[in-house]
Amino acid sequence: MREVHLDLAVIGGGPAGLAAALEARRQGLEKVAVIERDIELGGILQQCVHDGFGLHRFGRRMSGGQYAQAFIDEVEAGGIMTECRTMVLRVSGDKKIYAVSSHKGMTLYHCRAIILAMGCRERTRNQIFIYGARPSGVLTAGTVQRYINMEGYLPGKKAVILGSGDIGLIMARRMILEGMEVEGVYEVMAHPGGLTRNIVQCLEDYDIPLHLSTTVSQIHGQERLEGVSVARVDQQRRPVKESERYIPCDLLVLAVGLIPETELARGAGIKINPLSNGPEVDQDFATSVPGIFAAGNLVAVFDLVDYVSATGETAAKGAARYLENPKAAHPRAYRVNTGENVSLAVPQIVYEGQAAQDLSLFLRVKQPGPKAALICACAGRELSRKKERFVAPPEMLAAKVPAGTFIGADLLLEIKGE
Amino acid sequence: MDRESILKLVGNDGRFAACQVECSLSPDGIATVWGAADTWRQVVDIGHLVARQPDIVNVVNRLRARGIEIAPQDKSGAIAAARRLGVRAEADIVIIGGGICGCAIARALARYQARIILLEKNSDISEETTKANNGYIHAGHRAAPGTLKAKLNVEGNAMYDQWHEELNFPFLRCGQLNVARTEKDMRALEKNHADGIANKVPGIRLVSAQEAKELEPALEGEIVGALLVPSLAVVEPYSVCIALAENAVSNGVDLWLNCEVLAIDLDSSSRTEAVVTEKGLIKTGWVINCAGIYADEIAAMVDDQFFSLHPRRGGIAIFDKQVKPPYKRSVSVPAPAEQKDEESKGGGFSFTPDGNILAGPSALEVPDKEDKRVEAQDIDYAYSRGAAAYPGLRRQDIIAMYSGVRAADYKEDFIIAMSGKIDGFINVAGIQSPGLAAAPAIARMVEVIVKESRAGQNNPLRLRTDFNPHREKPVEFRHLSLEEQDRLIRRNPAYGRIVCRCEQISEGEILDTIRSPITPTTVDAVKRRVRAGMGRCQGGFCQPKVVEILARELGREWTEINLKGRHAYILARKSREEGL
Amino acid sequence: MRKVTVTCIVCPSSCRVSVREGGEGLEISGHQCRRGLEHARNEVKNPMRMLTATIAVTGADFNLLPVISSAEIPKKMLIPCLRTVYGLRVQAPVKEGSVILRDVCGTGVDILAARTITRAPAG
Repeated sequence: MREVHLDLAVIGGGPAGLAAALEARRQGLEKVAVIERDIELGGILQQCVHDGFGLHRFGRRMSGGQYAQAFIDEVEAGGIMTECRTMVLRVSGDKKIYAVSSHKGMTLYHCRAIILAMGCRERTRNQIFIYGARPSGVLTAGTVQRYINMEGYLPGKKAVILGSGDIGLIMARRMILEGMEVEGVYEVMAHPGGLTRNIVQCLEDYDIPLHLSTTVSQIHGQERLEGVSVARVDQQRRPVKESERYIPCDLLVLAVGLIPETELARGAGIKINPLSNGPEVDQDFATSVPGIFAAGNLVAVFDLVDYVSATGETAAKGAARYLENPKAAHPRAYRVNTGENVSLAVPQIVYEGQAAQDLSLFLRVKQPGPKAALICACAGRELSRKKERFVAPPEMLAAKVPAGTFIGADLLLEIKGE
Repeated sequence: MDRESILKLVGNDGRFAACQVECSLSPDGIATVWGAADTWRQVVDIGHLVARQPDIVNVVNRLRARGIEIAPQDKSGAIAAARRLGVRAEADIVIIGGGICGCAIARALARYQARIILLEKNSDISEETTKANNGYIHAGHRAAPGTLKAKLNVEGNAMYDQWHEELNFPFLRCGQLNVARTEKDMRALEKNHADGIANKVPGIRLVSAQEAKELEPALEGEIVGALLVPSLAVVEPYSVCIALAENAVSNGVDLWLNCEVLAIDLDSSSRTEAVVTEKGLIKTGWVINCAGIYADEIAAMVDDQFFSLHPRRGGIAIFDKQVKPPYKRSVSVPAPAEQKDEESKGGGFSFTPDGNILAGPSALEVPDKEDKRVEAQDIDYAYSRGAAAYPGLRRQDIIAMYSGVRAADYKEDFIIAMSGKIDGFINVAGIQSPGLAAAPAIARMVEVIVKESRAGQNNPLRLRTDFNPHREKPVEFRHLSLEEQDRLIRRNPAYGRIVCRCEQISEGEILDTIRSPITPTTVDAVKRRVRAGMGRCQGGFCQPKVVEILARELGREWTEINLKGRHAYILARKSREEGL
Repeated sequence: MRKVTVTCIVCPSSCRVSVREGGEGLEISGHQCRRGLEHARNEVKNPMRMLTATIAVTGADFNLLPVISSAEIPKKMLIPCLRTVYGLRVQAPVKEGSVILRDVCGTGVDILAARTITRAPAG
């Protein structure tokens, strides 16, 4: 068995992992490797041919591949070991990684620190309980994207899309531009799941209707999909039978949410947070297992790639600090709690003391609304307040604890109307 | 029993007041009912009511439910086309249906010097009822004593060890603990126990509440007592079927896939002469009808339909492997609101040999034999039974749902016999649960029927000397040690390319199965053989990869690779083929 | 006189901005800020869009190369430009940012490779 000794192994060569590896080198770590299961770096960005990436970081509108390329070029020039076509089978709590590849067989990586950056996967029809027959022609948006953008095949002629998250909207436009028909986009919630920009440029530009508070209630067809039933939903998001109508189509695209890929993390004994469904992390993005960090959509689904890269950098800084003194005891830990109109907060743990630098806290709003304030409070004292013109669940928000602030109790994140 | 008393019986039953029922009774005890009912439930209930009367051998039920029309397919065009193809093959034995029975019988008869053709209308074996059950190798305590079911269940269960040894499919004799929460539950278990003793179920015994908790420490809540059934086992049903079929094919059985039977020709002395299939005619002396839910329609082709099959749908939920089974055994706990179907019980909490928790199946009478939908009521039932046994089970951890239809007749027993009218035509029908458990015994019984038939006595089948009962164990990368995995990859790098990340299935395993005696040609066929796509992402990541491998290895276009069956295409066309 | 409603995408407020096209130019209402006003005017007078697509590539591990326009193009030119782009075919290797097609359909905008694709190893 091949054995490799590393200062830091990054599992996953997507936007979080690439940013983490680069930052780790900037922090002076010597032996850094990125382990990637695909044949190349870039992760899911490589199938995102649409633009809209990198506005925050690069100040221009890039496609997914361009955003990835900017990092890949730097990684390849930066003395970082890249292990592509390598599938990690197991991560142990004592920081050993077992991975296989066809060209190197089994490799055991002995790591001083690890950053997990495996991203997320899509929810399927079973996980949202769409009943009916089980024909072909029911695919997740990411799989459709793979077939169309990477392989050059169209998985249907006429599509219905369930879910108005950005992936669903982007795929609606892509399918139209590839010569397919898109009957409509259906969204079980009362508000759209994706950005307004995508509603306008992916749906309205092509006269694709968006049906809110509506879901797919039945799938029809023995072999290939023949059609779907759609129905309005009640307050509890259950389909109302009387409102059901039949739509003939041969493709149902599911854009119904993403789930962090936590299998390796669980295997290493890392604690999973029930709100984010990802590993619970502290302000350095350290997990519950010492020396193992997590970043990107594995921690929580961030939507915005710039945030994903930022968490990779935070985790890398944390890993570098950890390696300076792995035995160092943490100060007293406090929770970051979710308060009014907040559904999720990342990180979940902060430490007592003066914040050495600005601390970013990511949060997601529950109910959309105009003129809101993001408030971070500690023991009843407001640490920061940020005004937002409009808040909506599709966009992850970031609150700040300014450098120098003393943290001496649990933090509370709230979003209040003004 | 005569025609009038049957009509009176139905007429006097308040449930059927609005039904118009006609009836005839043949001298050999076959009742035929027809007319109209209001609901499908009534159609089924009348069938059962008549079948339960003394001297009634079986029931042909032609009743219709108002408003439910299942149009029969017109096959005359296909039959004419098939006849134009002429005789394409000659066989001693033709087996119709590549489910568990057809494949088990094919393998049993492959020991003999006989030309055997196994016909399957789908693009793969095990694609219907066999693949969609909970994989129980039942012990035999649930079948009524004295039935053929009970006898073959207990015999078949005991034969599984040898099958497992010879055929190398995943098999776990985990045993079952049936738990009683109330005195009423306990009475039911005592009845099961008595039936089990009568049926000669090995090792079955009632245990105290205390012993039950010692056997399964994870059991929670009030327990009155329990019934321990050590001989229950679990398998992946399709794995058993595939192993049997591969071994049969290795021993010379000819498997014709994508080949539906359209008609059966008889000679002047009412012997089977030829099977008319969509690939042409096959001359044969024996026809073995293992056509599952369509076995009644195959019997009708030789004008000897003496039973009707009514599909009883069962929906199953599979849970994420991250949720570990808390018990060593299959544990059955009555759900608070159990489905009240007098003829059939649904299944409860179980797990697969690979470690997924499985709940169900439900049991619901449906009019359409093709109704393999999963509906909320199926999963509500399956989940409630699963959660009754393991309260920690969460609905959100369900990763897959599917349904199958049980091929039940109205006597609710197996029909395994030579036709009384047509020499050479053997029915293996009404094989519902515990058909999977009984399959080895069913195959042995059919073997005897063939040998003892008139043709068999005139021209005895001789054993082959070169029959090989062994099927090699396929490589299962995920179950190997790290050192074994390393060595394997060095020998063949394809095992180092993980295609299905959820189940950790390598390209090497997929290539192995493509080169196996029965080449899978669809994505689902690959899934049933190696588990690629069976994990929590349900093929979201690996499906394009499997399509690519299949297309490459079979020399086909990507667009020619189906998800399953014969028409379930995945890709409509190459992009840019039509202008924008 | 034409009246259209533009959904503003400048910020998450997603204002519905009304634009009336009369004899004296545009009459715009419903916006909350200057940028919204600008956006609505542009959307009515000369809406612009980025073009992203894939084109055929040979000699690589992949069949398709993603491409992107160097700047926005008039929305009405999107489909004609795509028709042209879909006809393009390149040979690996290709470097990200390299010009695949200059001045697509007279828009003055170039079509660029949106990633680097190396040549596939032989065999």
